[in-house]
Amino acid sequence: MVTRTPRAARRRQAAVVGIYALPFSKNIGMTERRAGGLAILGALDDAGLTVADVDGMFRYVWEGTTEMEMARVLGVQNLRMFGEVDYGGGAGAPTVSHAALAIENDLADVVVVWRARNRSSGGRPWVSQLHATGQDQFERPYGLVRPVDGMALHTRFWIHRYGWTPEVLGRVAVTQRGHARRNPAALMQKPMTMDDYLGSRMIADPLRLFDCCLETDAAMAMVLTSAERAVDLKTPPAYVTGFGMGSGPQMTAMTFYYGERLGETPSRYVAPELWRNTGLTPRDIDVVQFYDAFTPQIPLGFEEYGFCGEGESPAYMADGAAPPYNTSGGGLSEAYVHGFNLLVEGVRQVRGTSTSQVANVRHSLVTSGNVVPTGAIVFSKEPW
Amino acid sequence: MSAANPGFPVPVPDADTQPFWDACARGELLIQRCGACGRWLWQPRPICSSCQKPDPVWTRVSGDGVVASWMVMRPPTLPAFAERVPFVILLVELTEGVRLIGYLVDDQGRLLTTDGAAERVAIGARVALRFHDQAGTPLPCWTMAARRV
Repeated sequence: MVTRTPRAARRRQAAVVGIYALPFSKNIGMTERRAGGLAILGALDDAGLTVADVDGMFRYVWEGTTEMEMARVLGVQNLRMFGEVDYGGGAGAPTVSHAALAIENDLADVVVVWRARNRSSGGRPWVSQLHATGQDQFERPYGLVRPVDGMALHTRFWIHRYGWTPEVLGRVAVTQRGHARRNPAALMQKPMTMDDYLGSRMIADPLRLFDCCLETDAAMAMVLTSAERAVDLKTPPAYVTGFGMGSGPQMTAMTFYYGERLGETPSRYVAPELWRNTGLTPRDIDVVQFYDAFTPQIPLGFEEYGFCGEGESPAYMADGAAPPYNTSGGGLSEAYVHGFNLLVEGVRQVRGTSTSQVANVRHSLVTSGNVVPTGAIVFSKEPW
Repeated sequence: MSAANPGFPVPVPDADTQPFWDACARGELLIQRCGACGRWLWQPRPICSSCQKPDPVWTRVSGDGVVASWMVMRPPTLPAFAERVPFVILLVELTEGVRLIGYLVDDQGRLLTTDGAAERVAIGARVALRFHDQAGTPLPCWTMAARRV
């Protein structure tokens, strides 16, 4: 028996009761404001709730529409709790965690989180960032302008330290494409072989095109409420068993090369918080959605969250011991929504509605960021 | 950007970083070292993150170091960089223990058009400091140190 005293002692538990996604595309043909609003309405409808029930909202700092603007657009009467979490895709699980905290502490009853991003039709944010302030002034003038550039320097180091072959990363890309091809909503439906992966062009050597996530227009939302209210709603609840956040020392976003332990990511610090907070261990996890802006984040995720030891992930993943990961196709092959699609897929696995459904899911892990300050969350079939 | 700077991101110094860029203009590399605990600090900061004493001391270093990691730039990227590919970006660990970003350049500080193979770029390889003038901005960069025979 695991001990869950710290969490179970709380008065209330939160649960995800509504999820929704507009169709992923290269050009969604509307503002992020409109797409986000429609996604929220869809998620409320999924739960059997309305705007009149909403009293909390949390968003990513990078979300273009503030909670107040969204509340105005939708006609929310009063937000009892609201807030934002920073650091790009690191904000996913932490944003949902903030919503859960508000519910657990009786500060809100129905909380909405969402991510709407026209990252395809809206262009690449780095093309206009020509004035390098703060940490950027020592990096961007050399061409470290794309997220993949920051990742490439880490990846070369990991390859050196752990002896990764290209196939270690290729297996991730090929596996996730297989998941995407079972998911009609996924953008990438073309088959991918290991030869396709190995033949894809270098973008930031050692990272290839197929190591990189997609550029997507997307809008997705999630609704959370209390466990006691959830049981009366029309969807099976995905209970929030727990979560954790972490930064580690000398952290920047993406380019954290300056601490004592080169190559160590924030997930090293998130993981012990997550396991302590949930009272679970990796052996309790039936399915995982690891943040996947780039392929190396999957083998590292298995190691840093303790599914296997440091340096053991290639063998662990090859011998079939690892739980299924990124079952919607993930950021690499379904859509890149700063990890919000991973959160929604984590809920689907609990509901039993994934297109690559894992049998008898009790606990579903979703991680965010991984190379930025971030967090992770566990959704479960049963309450505390 | 103005015609004087054809689209490269430019450093925008502030009071905490200005001494570093002023030194680069003189062809010197300055790194902060705490006057109390002796810790070398990078990136620039107003307070020692080891012992919390304010105002670490700007200290000239040789720039000698080893390659801690490296990558080869390929498109798509900003036009100013896309015109120069392939080139190598280094993460260099100085003798003092801090790590900085820089281009791989030749002995004269000119950017090398290379994927790193001819220069035998590798983690652990020794490098030496050079300055590269990028549209008027002097950037610390590194060249492969002469190998022992």
